[in-house]
Amino acid sequence: MTESSTLSRRDVLDGLATSAVVVVLGRLAHTEVLAQSSASVVPINAYVAIAPDGRVTLQCAHSEMGQGIYTTFGAIIADELEADWSQCNVVFSPAASPYRHPIYNWQFTGNAESIRSYHALIRKMGAAAREMLIAAAADRLRVRPTELIARQGMVHHAASGRAIGFGEIAASAAAKPVPAEPRVKPESEWRIVGGGRSQPRRDIPAKVEGSAVFGIDIKVPGMVHAAVASAPMIGGKPASIDEASVRGMNGVIRVVPLDNAVAVVAEHYWQARLALERLKVTWQAGSGGSFDDATLDAMYRNAFARDTGWAGAEKHGDAPATLAASSRVFEAEYRSPWLSHAAMEPMNATVSVTDAGVTVWAPTQGLQMTQIVLAGALQIPPEKITIHRTYLGGGFGRRLLADFVLQAALCSRAVGRPVKLIWSREEDIKQDWFRPAFLDKVRATLGADGLPAAIHHRLVAPSILAPVSPVPIKPGTVDGLAVEGLVEHPYRIPHRRVDYHMLQVPIPTMVLRTTGHGPNNFTLESFIDELAHAAGRDPYQYRRLLLSENAAALAVLDRAAALANWGKASPGRFQGLAFAEAFGSYLCQVVELSIVDGAIKLHKITSVCDPGRVLDRVNATAMIEGGVVWGLSAALYSEITFEQAHVRANNFDRYRVVMLPDTPELVTDFLENRSALGGLGEVGPVCIPAALCNALFAATGRRHRNLPLAAARVFTVYGKNFS
Amino acid sequence: MAKFSFTLNGSRTEVDVDPLTPLLWVLRDHLGLTGTKFGCGVAQCGACTVHINDEAVRSCAYPIEAVEGARVITIEGLSSSGPHPLQKAWIEHQVPQCGYCQPGFIMAAAALIRQRPKPSEADIEASITNICRCGTYARIRRAILAAAG
Repeated sequence: MTESSTLSRRDVLDGLATSAVVVVLGRLAHTEVLAQSSASVVPINAYVAIAPDGRVTLQCAHSEMGQGIYTTFGAIIADELEADWSQCNVVFSPAASPYRHPIYNWQFTGNAESIRSYHALIRKMGAAAREMLIAAAADRLRVRPTELIARQGMVHHAASGRAIGFGEIAASAAAKPVPAEPRVKPESEWRIVGGGRSQPRRDIPAKVEGSAVFGIDIKVPGMVHAAVASAPMIGGKPASIDEASVRGMNGVIRVVPLDNAVAVVAEHYWQARLALERLKVTWQAGSGGSFDDATLDAMYRNAFARDTGWAGAEKHGDAPATLAASSRVFEAEYRSPWLSHAAMEPMNATVSVTDAGVTVWAPTQGLQMTQIVLAGALQIPPEKITIHRTYLGGGFGRRLLADFVLQAALCSRAVGRPVKLIWSREEDIKQDWFRPAFLDKVRATLGADGLPAAIHHRLVAPSILAPVSPVPIKPGTVDGLAVEGLVEHPYRIPHRRVDYHMLQVPIPTMVLRTTGHGPNNFTLESFIDELAHAAGRDPYQYRRLLLSENAAALAVLDRAAALANWGKASPGRFQGLAFAEAFGSYLCQVVELSIVDGAIKLHKITSVCDPGRVLDRVNATAMIEGGVVWGLSAALYSEITFEQAHVRANNFDRYRVVMLPDTPELVTDFLENRSALGGLGEVGPVCIPAALCNALFAATGRRHRNLPLAAARVFTVYGKNFS
Repeated sequence: MAKFSFTLNGSRTEVDVDPLTPLLWVLRDHLGLTGTKFGCGVAQCGACTVHINDEAVRSCAYPIEAVEGARVITIEGLSSSGPHPLQKAWIEHQVPQCGYCQPGFIMAAAALIRQRPKPSEADIEASITNICRCGTYARIRRAILAAAG
């Protein structure tokens, strides 16, 4: 595990030797990618191609893993292009430089970046293509470009009533000079996105018919199947493999030793699974030695006892001095647990390794990472690796890594045929790179006005960014994602300090939906609730004071309180509230619950989000609704625990998630006051743990500072009956 | 290896596989019907739900030898005349996110409304025990109620 991750990181860095900033104009002129797709389709730029019949092909740089990007990404370009949306086809782009993140120069899907970081770029792509089409139409109609407008896939000359379809002029448009500064439309002229509009998601019909192709559904000629068993102990490796133990079994082709695992390749998947069960393997422990929950907890606590390894993540004023001078210091310790991604589609990939090159069909968030990892491991140039993206059956960060693709590639190389490799659910949990536990000792003191005068966090957590970062994240420094939500939050607190200790653990760790915001918001917003109660203030009014200079944030808070009927719950019902600025969006969520026979019954969860602009209302609502459920799983049930270097959970009975009956009424609304675009894919869960625990405090007077609640034997009415 | 025959989406089907092969892998691997999904392998998540003799069954833990002579319906054969009312409601309410678990939910819901054409919310809570990690449950509930009219 550690070896391959080192390899990945080094190779990633080699791959990034090029410039870190990409010039938009370079992308405008980049057309060779599309030129390969079909002879008659004319590429206008790297994102837009038009066929003679007027059909438009738009490239989606991102992977569709449920967030609806496949539809909205295309819709943004189509809107700027003034295309007829019904004539547009969206395809997933290859791994290529025009599709890399405009700032990070790195092609991936994650961190709720797909819209907020690409919006300006792809609007220019659409606008540039539109201007080139208009220039070509002006030649054809012998009029000035300023007399023409593009609308619904046609260029119109209002004065003469003439019009010409995009398809007829695509070839000459492609030959026009690329505009240096294409003019994007004012928002008032958006016709496909924004303004409360919504486009039905293009992927949904196939997903309800069962015809949508996920990674696990890929079939290529000559393909065989692989099943994998990894070392039972984290960091372990196969010591001996007795291939004779499966010799002669139906369909078995080959046993393939892997770094941390062993694979069996067979004609059919179940044959591989049966052989894997019978295969005699002995394992050797990894260098991390044995560990369990208690030893891990001791590692976290030892970090607090040490002076070394700490890095300052934020310093405003002098929080330690203010706290030292205070006669009344509030102190609490908050812990969020280890989590597994547990996407519904287990990790899988289909790879064909031949002398000519490598072809990958994979449900991946990490397009460029996959290319670089395979190039390094197989010693072939990245350009000889072609990656076809399928739909992803959930990603949540896990699919940023390429470990499962590499296993498939090594199997394919061993048998000389295309191999589809599928992890069982048990392997999917065992071979996960986990969201680590976060342990935060936070102290605060109140000023004469009852508001926090100083707050000081001391956070211990392993790095979550390191395995997916294109630049190295060194111990003793700050992992920017791990401290998100504690630093730069919008509350008016004069003295603030955040210290961070990057704990080294013998367990692979990485990002998971909500990154640092999830655990850190649980800490901050529960603690603010504690301070509000200590100050004798209503938690909503208390936050209003903390945000009093921030009109957009206040508007979100006020809208949520109004929608939730804050303070006016029916007798026996209790409310809790939390606020966040995360992924460039504001969010306030209110949980309303009651206690029935000692268990939680959730009644209603209200969410108000300001992502700057809502480009697709129905899909944005889905992101928040689904996020609420994700947050409920994290707050109520989910936890990875360890014994003897093993992960205890092996399936959904021991890695519990929220199911339908726990899902209460969801009320979701949006505001659009922020000036810049924010993300929606990860923000939805962020306030749920704190809002839930704050409501629970309101109901019971008991403060929960350790998740999940089920670990403290706090259940929901439904969860209690889960066998 | 052994031969088994059953009716699959209305057509007589014969396979020659290991008798303990789960129906799921026979459908996906041998018969090419990939709408039925693999999620957990132990009948916990419901992504692999199909109908066997009109009952919702989790096919990942159902050996092919138990299917001999039975009538099996998968998501591909749920409706022979255009989309099933549930599939229409799923589109109307824009239910799926990643969509991976949705065929299983639709098959579970179809079995429910066959038994109870007008299910209550309590009926839905009691019988829809599949897992969706994207968290589409609220829309699933709405879509089932809408499809049932």
